[in-house]
Amino acid sequence: MSAPCPCCEVEVAPVRRRGRGRSLARRTADSLARSITDVLENEEIAARPGLLQRIDPRIKLITLLLFAVTVSLVHSLWVLLALIALTCVFAALSRVGVAAFARKVWLSAGLLAFLIAVPSALAWFTPGEAAFTLGPLTFTEPGLLGVATLVARVAAAAGFALLVVWTMRWSDLLRALSALRMPDVVVATLGMAQKQILTLLRTVEQIHLARESRTLTLGTTKENRDWVTERMAFVLRKSMKTADDVYDAMLARGYTGSMPSLRRLRVGAADWAWLATSVTICAVTLAASRMAGA
Amino acid sequence: MDIVAMHIPDGYLGPQTYIVFWLVMLPIWFVAARKVKRTLKSRQIPLLALGAAFAFIIMMFNVPVVGGSTGHAVGATLIAIILGPWAAVIAVSIALAIQCGLFGDGGITAFGANCFNMAVVIPFVGYYLYRLLCGDAPSSSRRTLSAGVAAYIAIVAGAICAGFEFGIQPYIAHAANGQALYAPYKLGVAVPAMALEHMLFFGWVEAFATAGVVAVLQRTEPTLLEAKPAARSMRWLWGAIGVLILLTPIGVLAPGTAWGEWGPDQIAQRIGYVPSGFEKLGSLWKAAMPDYATPGVSNAMIGYLIAAVVGTLLVVGVTWGVGALLARRRSGETSGRTSPPPAPAE
Repeated sequence: MSAPCPCCEVEVAPVRRRGRGRSLARRTADSLARSITDVLENEEIAARPGLLQRIDPRIKLITLLLFAVTVSLVHSLWVLLALIALTCVFAALSRVGVAAFARKVWLSAGLLAFLIAVPSALAWFTPGEAAFTLGPLTFTEPGLLGVATLVARVAAAAGFALLVVWTMRWSDLLRALSALRMPDVVVATLGMAQKQILTLLRTVEQIHLARESRTLTLGTTKENRDWVTERMAFVLRKSMKTADDVYDAMLARGYTGSMPSLRRLRVGAADWAWLATSVTICAVTLAASRMAGA
Repeated sequence: MDIVAMHIPDGYLGPQTYIVFWLVMLPIWFVAARKVKRTLKSRQIPLLALGAAFAFIIMMFNVPVVGGSTGHAVGATLIAIILGPWAAVIAVSIALAIQCGLFGDGGITAFGANCFNMAVVIPFVGYYLYRLLCGDAPSSSRRTLSAGVAAYIAIVAGAICAGFEFGIQPYIAHAANGQALYAPYKLGVAVPAMALEHMLFFGWVEAFATAGVVAVLQRTEPTLLEAKPAARSMRWLWGAIGVLILLTPIGVLAPGTAWGEWGPDQIAQRIGYVPSGFEKLGSLWKAAMPDYATPGVSNAMIGYLIAAVVGTLLVVGVTWGVGALLARRRSGETSGRTSPPPAPAE
């Protein structure tokens, strides 16, 4: 339905603000706002007094990497399901909302893996004993077991990765990387890049909101594309200019090439206990997987 | 975001694959860091950080393609054009690390493979294709077109690499009953699926975004599009050619003849007779150095080495000659075009 524009009397179709058919600017602004919110929520969860939040960042990083590698080595579906349950236990003990955690793991990673993998259960891709037929399609037992194993593996790995993301502040992650002998240049670049990403995310969100507030009609594809590439070029020019400004600021503050950290990390008894427990769980998991496969 | 297409999550690649990609990426990061340090000096941290931030942000833009559909560009070719391919390796790797560590996009174990596909294959293929298509003195439309074509081919190349990584999983690891343990589709399905998806959709997103930004930069900031140091140095290429020439005698050690390169006697051995056309046409041309042997040199190794040097010199000489001819023709065209601009209309 069209209506005359109040300032110029031009007949325009109203731009939808919600649901499908939203303008390009609104959709992009929404996804940018979601990204900023995600970062802020991660920081809030990382500040809660939970199990994983109390662990030294270096030990936490090492053990969660150990879990990620263990997940990739397990071949048994049942053991993978046990690891998924373990991620939920860790999430609950770390005061991460288990429902939100499960939703994120299952909807973003598990469901996607299922949709990608489910055709591989057909006899055409994985021959074997037929499990059931759906019209002309025959699903095989090894095919379905393969899909279930992949989905469980992806969900378990995503669970451990999400625990790293949600229970560790970005600054602690950088400190852990630095303590684990990651070169200073890489750590400093990672830290600076994260700050600049947040700044640029806000800038780009504001650009899109400004466009949205001045939009009367959904433009043609070419108009929208030209507008987007103009904004990309603007962000690029701004990035290059900011790099020069940041470098000048670094020199003004006496930057000599080294990046000392004031906070010293200390590994306590609880951290050692956590490390021993994690190593034991991984060893038992691998042994159980081997026994299940034998 | 282009998650399904390029960011490989954990669980899809087995340890035999992701460990190899971590091992491949470690020396690449090391070399890239050294090269970037040499060219950017202490300015490297802010420039790479902002390059990484831009690499991250460009993936957040919705680029309209056709019929209301939109997609996200990776932007790695664009970053390679602006910063050079080695700096792009670091900038895109850092953007991927932040996506993985801060937003949970892309796997931790698959990080090496993701960096190889998006931070190595796309920037290098895109950058060198762009320079090749652009030539030395590109016009603005040629530059824009070159950027678009390079970005399109580069992202398809990256997708084929990802497809290959997925496709080898069923061969490397499967249960005794045929059950897949990691990515379930074999090469015959995984590679075409990834390639087609990018040829039909994401390649166009990448091409439109890269060409569009390059077109805007030509108007507003053309200095950003000047050739980066990596394009100028060809010393490594001469070194590589020298090493390959020295290695050519290895060919003498290989037994038999390459498949399909049989002479009349070998054909007779295989099928029992020599086809008449083969016999007639086979003697039309007598090579100066048959079977890469040098006439008058009895030692096969030394003869092979001499043949390699002669062959390389011939190829380089002919290419050089054609290149010089084309360059002279182009400079003639350019000087012909530099006539004074028409007087403005009154």
